[in-house]
Amino acid sequence: MNKLLVIGTFSALSLVAACGSKKEGGGAGGGTADTSAGGGPVTLNASGATFQQGAQEVTIEAFTKANPKIKVNYGAGGSGKGRQDFADQVVDFACSDAPYKDTDLGKVKGGDFYYFPNVLGAITVSYNLDGVDKLSLSAEVIAKIFQRDIKKWNDPAIAADNAGGTLPDADIVVAHRSDGSGTTENFTRYLDKAATGVWKLKAGSTVEWPSDTQAGNGNSGVAQIVKSTKGAIGYVDLSDAKASGLKYASIKNQAGKFTDPTAESVSAAGDGIEVDDKLLFSALNAKGDASYPITAQSWCMLYAKSKDPAKTAALKAYFKYMLTDGQKLLPEIDFAPLPKSLQDKAVAQLDKVQ
Amino acid sequence: MSQSVLHPGLDLRRKRSWRSTKSLLMSVLMGLSVVAVLIPLIAVMYAVISRGAGVMFASFPEFFTAEIPMISRKAGPGMGPAIVGTLLATGGATLIAVPLGILGAVYLHEYGGTTKFASIVRFMTTVMTGVPSIVMGLFIYLTWTMKFGYSAFGGALALACLMLPVVISSTEQMLRLVPTNLREASYALGASKSRTIVSVVLPAALPGIVSGSLLAIARAAGETAPLLFAVGAATAYNPHLFTEANTALSLQIFSNATSSFVAAQERAWGAALTLMTLTFMLTVIARIFTARFALKR
Amino acid sequence: MIDLRGKSAHADRAFRWVAVGAAALVLLVLGLIAVVMTDKARPVLAEMGLDFFTSTRWSAPDVLYGALPFIWGTLYTAAIALAIAVPVSLGVALFVTQIAPRWLKKPLVYMIDLVAVVPSVVFGLWGVLVLSQHFGLGRSFLTAGIILAVMITPIITSLAREVIETTPASEKEAALALGATRWEMIGATVLPHSKGGLVGAVMLGLGRALGETIAAALVIGSALGQITTNPFAPGNSMPAVIANEWGEADDMHKSALIALAVTLFIITIVVNLIATSIVQRSMRRSRGKV
Repeated sequence: MNKLLVIGTFSALSLVAACGSKKEGGGAGGGTADTSAGGGPVTLNASGATFQQGAQEVTIEAFTKANPKIKVNYGAGGSGKGRQDFADQVVDFACSDAPYKDTDLGKVKGGDFYYFPNVLGAITVSYNLDGVDKLSLSAEVIAKIFQRDIKKWNDPAIAADNAGGTLPDADIVVAHRSDGSGTTENFTRYLDKAATGVWKLKAGSTVEWPSDTQAGNGNSGVAQIVKSTKGAIGYVDLSDAKASGLKYASIKNQAGKFTDPTAESVSAAGDGIEVDDKLLFSALNAKGDASYPITAQSWCMLYAKSKDPAKTAALKAYFKYMLTDGQKLLPEIDFAPLPKSLQDKAVAQLDKVQ
Repeated sequence: MSQSVLHPGLDLRRKRSWRSTKSLLMSVLMGLSVVAVLIPLIAVMYAVISRGAGVMFASFPEFFTAEIPMISRKAGPGMGPAIVGTLLATGGATLIAVPLGILGAVYLHEYGGTTKFASIVRFMTTVMTGVPSIVMGLFIYLTWTMKFGYSAFGGALALACLMLPVVISSTEQMLRLVPTNLREASYALGASKSRTIVSVVLPAALPGIVSGSLLAIARAAGETAPLLFAVGAATAYNPHLFTEANTALSLQIFSNATSSFVAAQERAWGAALTLMTLTFMLTVIARIFTARFALKR
Repeated sequence: MIDLRGKSAHADRAFRWVAVGAAALVLLVLGLIAVVMTDKARPVLAEMGLDFFTSTRWSAPDVLYGALPFIWGTLYTAAIALAIAVPVSLGVALFVTQIAPRWLKKPLVYMIDLVAVVPSVVFGLWGVLVLSQHFGLGRSFLTAGIILAVMITPIITSLAREVIETTPASEKEAALALGATRWEMIGATVLPHSKGGLVGAVMLGLGRALGETIAAALVIGSALGQITTNPFAPGNSMPAVIANEWGEADDMHKSALIALAVTLFIITIVVNLIATSIVQRSMRRSRGKV
């Protein structure tokens, strides 16, 4: 009761404050406070993977242009944050590069929910090395670099993957994510799969990196370290790596071919995936000559039931867009759309949301 | 401790020339330390102004009015929602902390005096001043945000917690400067104690209180850590204090500072210039109040 | 105008209680912080015991939370900051009070106070995009220490200035009259006179450096578990870890971060308490003397 009174008093004050700030405002947020009324503006709050931040940004921009009454905020705080916020019902939907662990499912407070796969993308191994424009790496060498077994760029193991090229006698600076990250989870799971026996740090959204490595916040934070530090190497999603002007390595795939990360090589990796009935799958270390091996996937999650019909309608509209028209925007920013069959399954699943 | 002039360190028997050279040398070192303080200030101001103004005036006035681009790698304005968010959170904090802080100081100086309770409160106010801002942020997350979700108000609460002890201390200092005979004159005219405080003491101390509060507001407007967990990460305008995620200039600077995109970094510089202008303006106004109207010691 | 005379007794009492309530709010908030935070820190302390403070492994997936590297990082960066800020602040305070001509004094004080108004995130931005990149420092303990030094210098300076200004002119003049040079005068009167207050000022600066979050989070390098005295190594500090890891943390991890916050809270409070009592005692003593 008291709380209501306090809120009431302060909302009167907030009106004053809001009026005060109107001259900067321009009124894009719409006048009244009531967002739940039919036809009024609706705001959807989401948080999650920075891996698909670029994809979300492009999708949201196009979607809100067509639906000006719906606002979507995507806070890219990492997959871990997305899962946590979604479980705590702090957000309306969340996106993650990895599903909940079975042990964490009990923490999801809002009841049943669905996974909607929405994007495929490459995780690059980006580097900053003057005079080296082409670098080829195998999973074993990447594993040794990131666990600090290899500390120099001219190490024979790296040279073996790069016949003909010359590598400088420079120290390697390893950059990784400081936040809980689906990109980390997919990257380490790839190393766990493809460099079995060599990779010792296990796989997970956070792993115990050697103490002399640097960490950045988000894909962009890692990209910034790589970009500004000579001799640095780090894992960054293709979209962010390209937009930041980073150089990235060709990675040896399961078929033994060195492949560059591109929308095509990612699509090739997506062709061979096996999807279960929750729409969960892994595109890592896929078969096929043209497949880029560190191809990751990402999901957005939605509760099966929600209390607010206006919000549910807006959420479904946004997801529908993301899974259909939004898919066409992905190659522009170096992500790959889902295979058509998976798109259809995801759209069909959307009907179950009420 | 003895403060005798005949300090053991003072040995006047040494040769005068060496002693004055040493004195000169130390004076030069002192002068150099002034330079050492001013260099980073000037370097930061130069970087913020040169990089920030470019962004700001490349698209003027859209930088202040346009929404924050959803696609952070794209060049272009603006910081409108962050400005509104900063004003909301800081304004909300001001509305909470300044009245409460003044009342608290009124209690300490006008009622409490040297009583045990007043001494404890005074002591704890000092303690509260030292609480790291990130701790305040966590505290508000645990007690407010977990129940009510992201909003500018959560940020306002955290900032208010930081401002409260500052306002209390600075106001109490100002109340101390109000001459006792003013109060006595008011009582002699038949005014009650509360009436005396409201219509005589506070008006007399007002310029100093305003100045102290403005400095506290300026500090609060620049804070990031308290907002980190409470405000959220909106890119669109949210004029509502209590509902939905918001953003703030400091939060935008923090997130864009770690970005690898040139466009995002540029917006961070622009936001930094905006924020610094805001805090400097508040500081300058506070100075004017102190210089023009305040009671002198 | 409201006429309060009729109800003045009631109004008086009501006003008094409102004021008492506002003052008590300080106790309430501090009490709540202590209770809420300690309560939420309990799970990790129950799990880790004293290892929380002594172990060097911090690994959320293994539910291992050893905070020692971050405690080290916090103390080490603060030490670097003090090593830079203390001589500089002292130099500035002495310059302003003993050397600077009258016309220069005020603008100088204003300029230095201006440093205190620059938001810490702006220093962080400058640190990460300019200082660490163009001066070859990288993200490291040293970079964080430098930024912290810049931030605490105005705090130490302004307090040191106040303390130094309480030196009785008579003592200074006596020293000069005996033929002491300016530096000898400072060494013989100003410094011994203000010693206590200066220590307090430095402690207050230390308190601020320990709790500073955002600037440190941006430039310290966010390395895991690094206990080294190499200032060029990337490291981490308690507040930076909280800011960077909170978002994705699960319940136990959150509890660990809150326990970090409690540790930080206790350290800074103790430092600040010592500082305040030193400053107050020395101010009182010097005022009493004059």
